[in-house]
Amino acid sequence: MSGRRFVALAVIILFLAVFLPRAAAAHTYKIGFIASVTGPGASLGVPERFVARMLQDRLTGQRGIVGPDKVRHAVEIVVFDDQSSADVAAGLARRLIEEEKVTVLVAGTLSGPSLAMVPIAGEARTPMISMASARAIIEDPATKRMRPWIFKPVPENLHSAQKQAEYLSAVGIRSVCHLYENTAYGQDTFASANAIYPKAGISIAYGDSFDRTGTEFPQVARVRASGCQAVVIGSIPPAASLINVAVRERAARVRIIHGHGACSPDLIATAGRAAEGTVMPCGKILVADQLPANDPVRAFDLRLISDYRVSTGGQPISTFSGHAYDALSWALAALRTLPDGLPLPAARQAVRDALETKIVNFVGTHGIFTLSPEDHLGFKPDDFAVVTVKGGKFVILPRNQWK
Amino acid sequence: MNTRRLSADAVGFLVGVVLVGGSAWLEMSHPGGLSLARLTGGLLTLDLLIRAGVFTIVLVGLNLLMGYAGQVSLGQAGFYGLGAFFSAILTVRAQALGIPSSLSEAWWWPWLLMPVGAFLVGGLSYLIGLVILRLRGHYLAMATLGLGIVVFIVLRENLGLPHLNLTGGFDGVFGIPRLRVGAFVLWPAPRYYLLVWTVAFTAIALGLNVVHSRIGRALRAIHGSELAAECLGVASPNYKALIFALSAVLAALAGSLYAHFQAAVVPATFGFVPSLELVVMSAVGGMTSIWGAPLGALAVLLLSEVLRTQMRVVFPAVSGEFEAVAFGLLLVLMLLFWPMGLAGRGARQFHRAAWKKEA
Amino acid sequence: MRGLAPASATTVLERQRRVSSALWLAGIVGIMFVTLILLGRRHGFGLTDYLQFLVDGLQAGAIYALVALGFVAVHRVTGIINFAQGAFVMLGPMLTITFYGQPLPLPPAPRLALAAALAILMTAGIGAAVHRLALHPARNSSLLTRIIITVGVYLILQGAALLAWGPRPYVLPAFTTLEMGDRSFLLGDVLVRAQSLWIWGTAVATVALLAAFFEHTILGKAMRACASNRLAARLTGIQVDTMATLAFVLAAILGAVAGIVVGPVTRPTFSMGLEVGLKGFVAAIMGGLVSFQGAVLGGLILGILENFWAGVTLAGFKDLFAFVVLIVLLLIRPQGFGGAEEGEGT
Repeated sequence: MSGRRFVALAVIILFLAVFLPRAAAAHTYKIGFIASVTGPGASLGVPERFVARMLQDRLTGQRGIVGPDKVRHAVEIVVFDDQSSADVAAGLARRLIEEEKVTVLVAGTLSGPSLAMVPIAGEARTPMISMASARAIIEDPATKRMRPWIFKPVPENLHSAQKQAEYLSAVGIRSVCHLYENTAYGQDTFASANAIYPKAGISIAYGDSFDRTGTEFPQVARVRASGCQAVVIGSIPPAASLINVAVRERAARVRIIHGHGACSPDLIATAGRAAEGTVMPCGKILVADQLPANDPVRAFDLRLISDYRVSTGGQPISTFSGHAYDALSWALAALRTLPDGLPLPAARQAVRDALETKIVNFVGTHGIFTLSPEDHLGFKPDDFAVVTVKGGKFVILPRNQWK
Repeated sequence: MNTRRLSADAVGFLVGVVLVGGSAWLEMSHPGGLSLARLTGGLLTLDLLIRAGVFTIVLVGLNLLMGYAGQVSLGQAGFYGLGAFFSAILTVRAQALGIPSSLSEAWWWPWLLMPVGAFLVGGLSYLIGLVILRLRGHYLAMATLGLGIVVFIVLRENLGLPHLNLTGGFDGVFGIPRLRVGAFVLWPAPRYYLLVWTVAFTAIALGLNVVHSRIGRALRAIHGSELAAECLGVASPNYKALIFALSAVLAALAGSLYAHFQAAVVPATFGFVPSLELVVMSAVGGMTSIWGAPLGALAVLLLSEVLRTQMRVVFPAVSGEFEAVAFGLLLVLMLLFWPMGLAGRGARQFHRAAWKKEA
Repeated sequence: MRGLAPASATTVLERQRRVSSALWLAGIVGIMFVTLILLGRRHGFGLTDYLQFLVDGLQAGAIYALVALGFVAVHRVTGIINFAQGAFVMLGPMLTITFYGQPLPLPPAPRLALAAALAILMTAGIGAAVHRLALHPARNSSLLTRIIITVGVYLILQGAALLAWGPRPYVLPAFTTLEMGDRSFLLGDVLVRAQSLWIWGTAVATVALLAAFFEHTILGKAMRACASNRLAARLTGIQVDTMATLAFVLAAILGAVAGIVVGPVTRPTFSMGLEVGLKGFVAAIMGGLVSFQGAVLGGLILGILENFWAGVTLAGFKDLFAFVVLIVLLLIRPQGFGGAEEGEGT
């Protein structure tokens, strides 16, 4: 072996030896947290990771959680980046389950990686709470039943489409164009629209994808040629902003409807004036200050928004932070029900059962959740607020103003 | 036959078999509570080793193509994906295609699909190869790049037939069954690990056989100078297309094994960036050596894994971002120190050929 | 030496082959456009719509062309395919936005110009560093090794960008209005954005400057000599390694300029280099990786193809069609659209 190779090998072995995993303190609960911090999902994953860190700081400050038998347990949130890749996510899930011995997984920013982790969590009998939106994550498409080990607090594009259909019907629109970004999320918005709109008497005159990183949008020509009354956009910023601007440039009077993924400060920052007057269903957390005073979500969200701002040094809240917060809150609530001394498989089973039965009227960032064996989501379409952009801000559009 | 080379290969196989067998036994019986992970500080897991085995199969084909035949491929992940989706669709979506469940749920059905899929992909790639392998150098690179992207787009757009929902669009296909023989399921992981590496070693043996055979000599001749080779009677287009097809067959086979391991396949796993990753693995391992295939796969996967687990300790706040920078940095360093790859030592002779070296 | 052989010896056979391939090309392009127009009629497209596609395609194409120029610059002098080119394209606008946001006592227009100039300078420096630190030490390694090193460099630069700027999208103000919204003109019913004029102008100016540089300056000629025959260049006293570094500096400048001028049309973010780098690479290949004019032509063709296909069929498949057409074009004319340029030295 050449000298150089030997040196390199020695360095590698030394590196490994120095960083052996530390033994966890007894009674420490581990939550495995996998988010897409790099790659195309980064704009969703980074806010989620902020929340994980914020909660970890809070837990460390409180010295953990207390079980029903008054025994205190430290909680460690083990954070990994799946690089927006299904392969990496699957490997990380296995690692968290087998090596790190986590009690519960809070994992999956994007649908693809989440779906890859679903069979792993199921086989390993470890509860998993996903932060992605696809229905297939919690529901087996073949049997239409809930997957026993998988949960998610994230609204689906089906709900978003329902809210959109409500609004479109109320304002008398019968024909729309649907433009969606060429990602899993975008495609799902289109599939949801195709499933929901016809039942509300709305036809999709023209539907097509667009390039998330594109600079020109020839789809706009088709929009004009189709004569639709409104354009529904299934995308997140900045792609949603770019197509918004492109449509506005060529068709100044057509209504633009976004999905709930576009309800983010980034939309206004990157679309500017073109976003004025657009309407979209929105998670309550983005308009918390406009919720009625008797809505328990309002106080909850306002507190979270200010905590988040302090913890991250001024970052505005996003809907994805909200999903991460809800997911971790569910996990913590379930862990709190565990008596001390359970072996790991029993602890995982207990968390799963607790999630199904103990999350009742649970105040979250996006609504009040109630889980059950038949519903691992707990979100209803009415938990969405319908907002419009007015004066560069999101403003709730109450039903009586839909016109 | 060069007996020294033969015995070097034999040693390689022996070491490989011992390592694989030993680690499988370790993971199945856990003597004294030990496991691979415990022994290596949490670094080596069966998950990583299985993926390394799958990539090894792809890389044997890629090394034959790029290292020996000197044909660039920037779209190899496309063939990998075709194999994976073939297995996935015909097991999970068999109903939509009118295949009776008595067939699609039989234990031997997925086993049958693997060679059938590989053969179909091989045939298709042979025909494509006859056409595009007329191009050289950068143009060939671009044509293979285009090919890979075409496959990716077709997979992600549901083959253009959304109502059949065959490839599942962006979300792909999930729920792929585990392989079994009769009632014996090749799961949990140690059993599948043995299967994957058996196939991987077979592929390595096949690759070595090709290299030492008449075909291998013809390839090296083509790599050295296509014109000269043709003057000597080497039917260059056929050989090139043959190797192209062989690399596609291996990639498709690996894809099927991957599908039954991951139980879920998404098109994003088979795009341009994964093709580039395969080329990187090939270069790191040494693309002019068949043994470079397992070395390259293991090195790159291990590197990513080390960074992922250790960066958390050093930079808990921004581990993900630092992983990306560190990976690039270490990749550059590795190539600066081992320009011919980890297995490059014995392959120096092949490098004098078509890749231009500066005077 | 000069009178011995003409610079480009074209035999009768060569000329015949060129004419026949040109006819094939024209035929394919013609058939394709007719197909596109027929497909477009299903949607009730009129001449205006096709003109709009053309205009939009020319904008996208000009961007791809600018990026492609960077690939060609590096390849001509060193033979390397620089996969880090996309990172240069990303660094231009991101750095400009950072510098523009600094509190300088200048009105917006000169502040933007200064920010852009600083960004280009800094990117040029990064380009030089990339070559000196990562590629120069590997100069005796194989070509593929050096190409993979540029892949590693891309990863480093993109990762560093994510660390520095985070994953969110940023806004680079349009040059005409100095804010996010841009001015646009209607020619007939065809919309032309003011930024498109900037893009086209920059592309034209860049190509002209590059041609002048390579034809009429000592430095440019020295770089061309390195591309033709490295050994001979070294023998005549040209510092080949310095030329290689300069090639990277040039590529970095070209990339940064491309990124800055397209920045207002998109929303710059840490990962914007990947897609546009790939398209630029494809455009550069169309020009044989040695011809600037060929790269520009390749870029324009790619941009126009994409837009037309996206408009008349499903946008999801536009890359597929574009690639198929490009591969067919390459099969007809394997030497690319390089024209009578000097080859890549033996």
